[in-house]
Amino acid sequence: MHRSIYRLVFLGALVFFALNGGAFAQPRTINDAAGRKVTITDTSRIVSIGGAVTEVLYALGLADKIVAVDSTSTFPEAAKQKANVGYMRALAPEGVLKIGPTLILAIEGSGPAEAVEILERASVPYVVVPEAKNAEGVLRKIRFIAEAAGVPAEGERLASAVREDFAALGHALKGIKQRRKAAFILSMGSGSPIVGGAGTSADALFKLAEIDNALSAVSGFKPASDEALIAAAPDAVVVMSERDHAMPPEKVFSMPSLANSPAAKTRNMIGLPGLYLLGFGPRTAHAARDLAAALYPEANIPALPGRSWTAAASGGEAKAK
Amino acid sequence: MSATVFGTLKAPLRRGGTGLWICAALLIAAMIGSLAIGPVAISPGHVLGILHDALAGARPSGGDALRDAIIVLDIRLPRMILGVLVGGSLAVAGVLLQGIFRNPLADPIFVGVSPGAALAAVAFIVLGGGVAIGASDFIGRFGLVLSAFLGALTATAILHRLTVHEGRTSVAALLFTGIALGALASAGTGILLFLASDQQLREFTFWSFGSLGGATWIKVAMLAPFALLSFVIAGLLAHGLDAIALGEAEAFHLGINVERLKRLAIVAVAAGAGGSVAVSGTIGFVGLVIPHLLRLMIGPSHKKLLIGSALLGAAILAAADVVARTAVTPAELPIGVVTAFLGAPFFLWLLRRYRASLGG
Amino acid sequence: MYEARALSFSRRNRAILDGVDFSAAPGKTVAIVGPNGAGKSTLLKLLTGELAPSSGEIRLDGRPLASFAPQELAHRRAVLPQSGSVSFPFTVAEIVALGAAGRFTRAEKESLVARALSTVEMPQFAARFYDELSGGERQRVQLARVFAQLWASGGTGYLLLDEPTSSLDLSHQLLTLELARQHAAAGAGVICVLHDLNLAAMAADEIVALKNGRVVAAGAPSAIVTDALMAELYGVTCSVRAVPEGPFVLPQSVRRQARH
Repeated sequence: MHRSIYRLVFLGALVFFALNGGAFAQPRTINDAAGRKVTITDTSRIVSIGGAVTEVLYALGLADKIVAVDSTSTFPEAAKQKANVGYMRALAPEGVLKIGPTLILAIEGSGPAEAVEILERASVPYVVVPEAKNAEGVLRKIRFIAEAAGVPAEGERLASAVREDFAALGHALKGIKQRRKAAFILSMGSGSPIVGGAGTSADALFKLAEIDNALSAVSGFKPASDEALIAAAPDAVVVMSERDHAMPPEKVFSMPSLANSPAAKTRNMIGLPGLYLLGFGPRTAHAARDLAAALYPEANIPALPGRSWTAAASGGEAKAK
Repeated sequence: MSATVFGTLKAPLRRGGTGLWICAALLIAAMIGSLAIGPVAISPGHVLGILHDALAGARPSGGDALRDAIIVLDIRLPRMILGVLVGGSLAVAGVLLQGIFRNPLADPIFVGVSPGAALAAVAFIVLGGGVAIGASDFIGRFGLVLSAFLGALTATAILHRLTVHEGRTSVAALLFTGIALGALASAGTGILLFLASDQQLREFTFWSFGSLGGATWIKVAMLAPFALLSFVIAGLLAHGLDAIALGEAEAFHLGINVERLKRLAIVAVAAGAGGSVAVSGTIGFVGLVIPHLLRLMIGPSHKKLLIGSALLGAAILAAADVVARTAVTPAELPIGVVTAFLGAPFFLWLLRRYRASLGG
Repeated sequence: MYEARALSFSRRNRAILDGVDFSAAPGKTVAIVGPNGAGKSTLLKLLTGELAPSSGEIRLDGRPLASFAPQELAHRRAVLPQSGSVSFPFTVAEIVALGAAGRFTRAEKESLVARALSTVEMPQFAARFYDELSGGERQRVQLARVFAQLWASGGTGYLLLDEPTSSLDLSHQLLTLELARQHAAAGAGVICVLHDLNLAAMAADEIVALKNGRVVAAGAPSAIVTDALMAELYGVTCSVRAVPEGPFVLPQSVRRQARH
């Protein structure tokens, strides 16, 4: 009599765990990017902080497990329908707790520290995802997120596909002997435009696309002086397409410091969505390819194969003007 | 002396008693609301239970009970206390500034005190060994509050030097000097942010809106001595501030050591406003609107005005914080946005009312 | 006893007072008169302690004026200013009560304020807002405050007045001077800057005449109000006691109707 009950319970548990699969995988410990050991037991309710983190989770097929995202998670479109916990650096702990997450995946730099501390104290696993500045970094990011979310196999598959993309990109760019220069303008600022200098994500993307950063003399996202811009003489100007109305080509190229640049002569201004450009998520290779195609039109760089995670709206087309 | 003389006197010298009780009641209500209301629904009974258990030293170990306890004790409670201290300090700073400048339009932000504090705080962060704003390091925190205090002190002293001439303050001089100091502080802050890391830069942008988010017991401990200092000094200056309303010369004739009063008032303003800026960024309109409301309710006599302003300022800020936390949940509004939303229309009304005297 | 010797005061290299000697004894009323720019207000400000002399010495009851703390000074003298405005909505009673600082119970304060207001014939103004009053009414409220201050410290303090009659009508000009004389009669000293010679002649025991920062004459009214001195002070040809054509009213021949 007792044994059949035990058997029933055992079978029931098996079924339960099988159905919930990855949600109740064995508790695992992961070393996150902040050097902390975090134990994850339940991945059924994930809060995703950081546009690239959200992208990876969607690409891994975990959309249903995401209960909330941050304000930088703008791709895919569906992500915008999720509950929004606000800006990644200004998290409200009570708001996040209200959502009742079982796991928080946050890109490096999220905060503030007080909010993170409270979430940890509430026993919510808070995992810091390492940021990426190159192809290897992107693959590491993907694998890390997949492991934290309990789907390492899926992660490997995604990472392989992305690695193929990078390889294809590298192959296509091999023929480029003479590198050209581009300038990334974040915003027009109140006087001088704020540009992406050395060490920024824009700079890193340019490197991937075999493009020199015309403003490598500047460090970080800083306002650039007129002289710096004139000396830069970029062949193209890259902006975030969300700022289209604030920075139309007429306005940008009418600045005296850029009016005589090679970019102005060919009116070469490239607008791409911010997350696509700077997020360093799974679409990074595609973004680099788009930039390269706009700067080296004569090289006829082929488009990279479309993937399931690149398709969803938010145009990945370079808008050369 | 006839009975009628006494009769007419009772009201004028006794005005304000009820008003103060109302302010105290509002504060208690706001404090309770601050603990009981939030994105996560926790019943008042449960809140009391959590507080009671905490006093008894018991902490739940897991699950919803732990989450609720953390929300009440680690999020809402320090935030409520910080809000009370900041609100009271800013309101008292407003009363003091309006008293020594003899003008109801003085406010720590408009006259450049808060921007000066912010500049000093940013200088400390960027130049002081890169102590991040979010650092919980004790020394780092205390240095930050101290810097803000010194920044506020410098700004107020400069302001006073430039605007008070032979005992009279020109309104125009006050406002324009305040704008100039604010612009100077902005410029200085801009230069410093240029040297800051991208990380510090982005955090600062949010900090500068004013927020009680990230309130911790450490921040409360850092602000408390400065806030209390400003309250104590203000209390001592109450009679002198009344006398100064007649004019600096007249106050002297009444026996007030005017220079000492002004110096102490400046220290109190710097402590209260500067300390508040260090822990919660620049929050506007509290120093301007609260004293004015109180004068309408209970009259300008400074003893009652200071007490009432501290109570009401604390109440308003705690209430505004409830709005900040719940209006766009799960995200959060910076509290400076809420106070601006409430205070700006009131400020416009104030300007209209004082239109005539602004020509001076 | 107020004593000042060889007082000089300069501002921006311009001498406003030069070598002024001055004294005022308890029980006497001293009026300071002179043309515009003679330095009358400056002299008064030096006596109140508001300004410090560039050279010379002022003594109050034997001690140098500079050695008094503001609080001590407030116990020995009260100053009626040329009335100004108040930036906040204080009531009349609150303004008068400012004079009654110190350790008083609320009842004592209220009775002091009541007495002061009835003395200046404004008992019904207690609850009015000061900034709604006319210039003359404000002046009288300030006077009430000053008396409150004097009575709060024993009633023997010096009363210093700077052009107290400028905004007042005839009746209240007389009231002010009458109260000043009563204060002197009670044994206190009164120093008063006056523009109006007739009022000075009427109210003062001694007149000090200033011109260009110097004392031109000091003495009893009969010695000061003379044709020669008027010519010297004001550059006018004068006939003291001459009766003009057309109607004229002199304060000396005016009597107030008792009001309450």
